[in-house]
Amino acid sequence: MDLEKMRQDAAALLEGGRATLVVGFRERAGECVPAFVTAAEGTAVLTYDESCMANPAAYLRKTEVRRRTPVALVARPEVMRSLILLKAEHQVSDEEVLVLGVGDDTYHGVLTLAETEQLLNEQYPDPSPDEATLAEIERIQALPPEERARFWSEQLAKCTRCYACRAACPMCYCERCIVERNVPQWISTAAREHGNYAWNVIRAFHLAGRCTECGACEAACPQGIPLMLLNSLMAREVRDTYGEKPGYDAEAQPVIGSWNKEDDDDFIR
Amino acid sequence: MKLIDASRLDDLAKALAGAGYRVVVPAEDGELVRYAEWTSQATIRTDAFPVNSVKDFLLPRSEVIDRYELQGDDFVPMDVTPEAPKTVLLAVRPCDAAALALLDTIFNWDFEDELYNARRAAATVVPMVCTEADEQCFCTSVGGAPDSTENADAMLRPADGGTRFILDPLTDKGEALVEAAGTALTDGEAEPDPRAEVPVRFDPERVRAWLEENFESDLWDLMSLACLGCGACAYACPTCHCFDIQDESTRSEVVRLRNWDSCGFGLFTRHAGGHNPRPDQAARWRNRVMHKFAYIPERFSMIGCTGCGRCARVCPAGMAMLDACVRIAQESKKAPVYES
Repeated sequence: MDLEKMRQDAAALLEGGRATLVVGFRERAGECVPAFVTAAEGTAVLTYDESCMANPAAYLRKTEVRRRTPVALVARPEVMRSLILLKAEHQVSDEEVLVLGVGDDTYHGVLTLAETEQLLNEQYPDPSPDEATLAEIERIQALPPEERARFWSEQLAKCTRCYACRAACPMCYCERCIVERNVPQWISTAAREHGNYAWNVIRAFHLAGRCTECGACEAACPQGIPLMLLNSLMAREVRDTYGEKPGYDAEAQPVIGSWNKEDDDDFIR
Repeated sequence: MKLIDASRLDDLAKALAGAGYRVVVPAEDGELVRYAEWTSQATIRTDAFPVNSVKDFLLPRSEVIDRYELQGDDFVPMDVTPEAPKTVLLAVRPCDAAALALLDTIFNWDFEDELYNARRAAATVVPMVCTEADEQCFCTSVGGAPDSTENADAMLRPADGGTRFILDPLTDKGEALVEAAGTALTDGEAEPDPRAEVPVRFDPERVRAWLEENFESDLWDLMSLACLGCGACAYACPTCHCFDIQDESTRSEVVRLRNWDSCGFGLFTRHAGGHNPRPDQAARWRNRVMHKFAYIPERFSMIGCTGCGRCARVCPAGMAMLDACVRIAQESKKAPVYES
């Protein structure tokens, strides 16, 4: 991947005023962490490899970042899809964001959101969920209900309700998340079993048809909870049931929230 | 001197569990290591830094502090007895043990917290000398050390090239522990391994001096750009102690809960009327740094950070208290605040 070209492009964007902030990645003690560059001379720190799991699109909900638009984001295909989805949900406009596209060991250059949508459809037409995650979903779905419940009880018992999953997710942009609706309190905020189930399951449902399987939430979880088992399962259901692949069409209606009279209604008895 | 083979820490845990202790050890959990109650299935791991801190066992994530039962037409207050089993915090990090000084102070400041105090009194603290440190470790910058005995009832000292531990009792609780360990410990001689090298990275006095003059600074906005506003750092932190009170009810019972809370959350300071005096992550991150390096030093003459570096290890956004302090100390040098 031509990282030097990416750095040059980022510097040119900042110098020419096409972007006031570049959100990408830098290396810190052998790990890939988000980088925020506001001046051309700072672009030397920018790097990218497959270990860069954060989703820079999550930063678009921060007021401090919005104050600095236009923003250029280093984006792999899943992140590009997040951006197209955010555009479809009217959360971001073409004027606010540019993409420094990365994927398949290739640097794709500076792209507008319209160009990003085109690139996705031409070069990355199929979502590519993690094979190991899909295999693990199969394994767990095949377990008897009690064993499956035990698996999730053990996993969700680790949840401290730090909401790093929510913070890392670009699609979790609600100004006031349901877990913060406290008059009355809708979901128990105690890091105990029923509240932990409620929180993690509700988040998975709210992402149905909206998750681009970037994996940032799972990477963010300090407790190592395999959140992508839930999210990829929901994504698979949406693909199989509605033939939808979110993040490829900035005009698309959300799966949950749109209605079509051809929709399957066999479940109504 | 009391010794145990490094490969036989399990036997020590087993002996202590047999003697009635709840034994908390760094244990393997998938790819992570976390402090957890020892069971015969546990794999003790002293070679990796645990993801949680020992505060989990003194200030639980969520605990019942009041309970009411519906009897007839009335809710009747019920006694809440502190759950405070006799506990040993075994092979914990010195930076975790150091944090207890602040928790002890906070929970006995303007109010004596009987729940915390009961658990603290029931705890025997046995830190392990660190013989390795990583890039996020900075205990020596905040008055600690990889072999600090602060708040320790006994020390575990790696010896003879990591092949065994010396268990060195320092208090009555420590002596009682050695007694309870019985034949799991043997008498003999061993050469303690050198402690980890942890370079001093900044001067906390310089950080404090800058903080006192720079509540308003453009640096806060820049330093906190990466912060996504989760509670990962606060929940991993051995000294963070903020909590939220929540009431939860079923048909027959109401419980009042104390749950962990974090100043990184927007809801933390949001007023009922909707105003939020800390409107963005810059204000929230500033509070986090101020609290640890200005407010706590001012109130209690101690630093609110033990340099464990856990916040940086868990942060999904690459934020690090160490980086912030180094940056602030540099700013402090650039414009000495004493000269104005």
